[in-house]
Amino acid sequence: MNRALYTIETYKYEVIWFRILKDRLLDAREIDAIGQALLHLTDMHPRLSLVLEMDKVSHMSSAMLGKLVALHKAVRRGKGRLAICNLHKSLMPLFKVTKLDKIFDMQPDAQELLLLWQRKPLLG
Amino acid sequence: MKLRINAGEPRISGRLVWEQTRPSRLDLKVPLIDELLAIFRERHWVESDEEHWLTLCLDEVIVNGMLHGNEGDPQLPITLRLFDDGSRWRLLVEDQGEGFVPEDVPDPDDERSLMLEHGRGIVIMLQWLDELRYFRKGSCAMLVRAKARGDAGA
Repeated sequence: MNRALYTIETYKYEVIWFRILKDRLLDAREIDAIGQALLHLTDMHPRLSLVLEMDKVSHMSSAMLGKLVALHKAVRRGKGRLAICNLHKSLMPLFKVTKLDKIFDMQPDAQELLLLWQRKPLLG
Repeated sequence: MKLRINAGEPRISGRLVWEQTRPSRLDLKVPLIDELLAIFRERHWVESDEEHWLTLCLDEVIVNGMLHGNEGDPQLPITLRLFDDGSRWRLLVEDQGEGFVPEDVPDPDDERSLMLEHGRGIVIMLQWLDELRYFRKGSCAMLVRAKARGDAGA
């Protein structure tokens, strides 16, 4: 199931591109699988630079928002960095209503950010 | 937040157009949402660019009933009834639980709530719906919104 839910590509300096492939994130099992995969990455790479691409996701429940908040906290604990890229236009109001747009770094282009973070790796 | 629990029973008005009772099983949630979405589409009650809001509201109210109200007990059902009262649709969702205390729902205006991993469902529903009312201590939710357009031959 997981192969159809997301892809993961790892670059140098622990820069990781995680792309969610589903257009609707409502199924609790799928949300749990994605949440666990994201947290697993933070366990394996504490100081990771995580580019989370969500261009395909047009519907998302608040359970998935909870997973993203958990991810944000885990990345912060590890002193890594996280950006959500290409957020679907239908989802931005959801982030604004819940005020989560204040805590997440939103970026328009995943490929540009992957290059930038490889040029400017986290030190230490 | 404009959330409170009303005394008495919900005022039912309009014509019942759909009714279902389902056990509290999360694997039944998405098919239930899809069944309701099909009705809304067929009747032109929601604009296509607002369908994600309707989906969110349906997801939240069903999850709340199954997981919080019925505590995930598959022996306990939730009942959904959709009404057409002319210019608006009205969805009643009833669970078998004890209800909830509005003060326990995280306040989105409180900075301390920002990092919580739960408790955003009601905020999301309040944003899009015209009305969100609770009855029977919170075990019965009523969602109301104006139709996007009138019934087209429904």
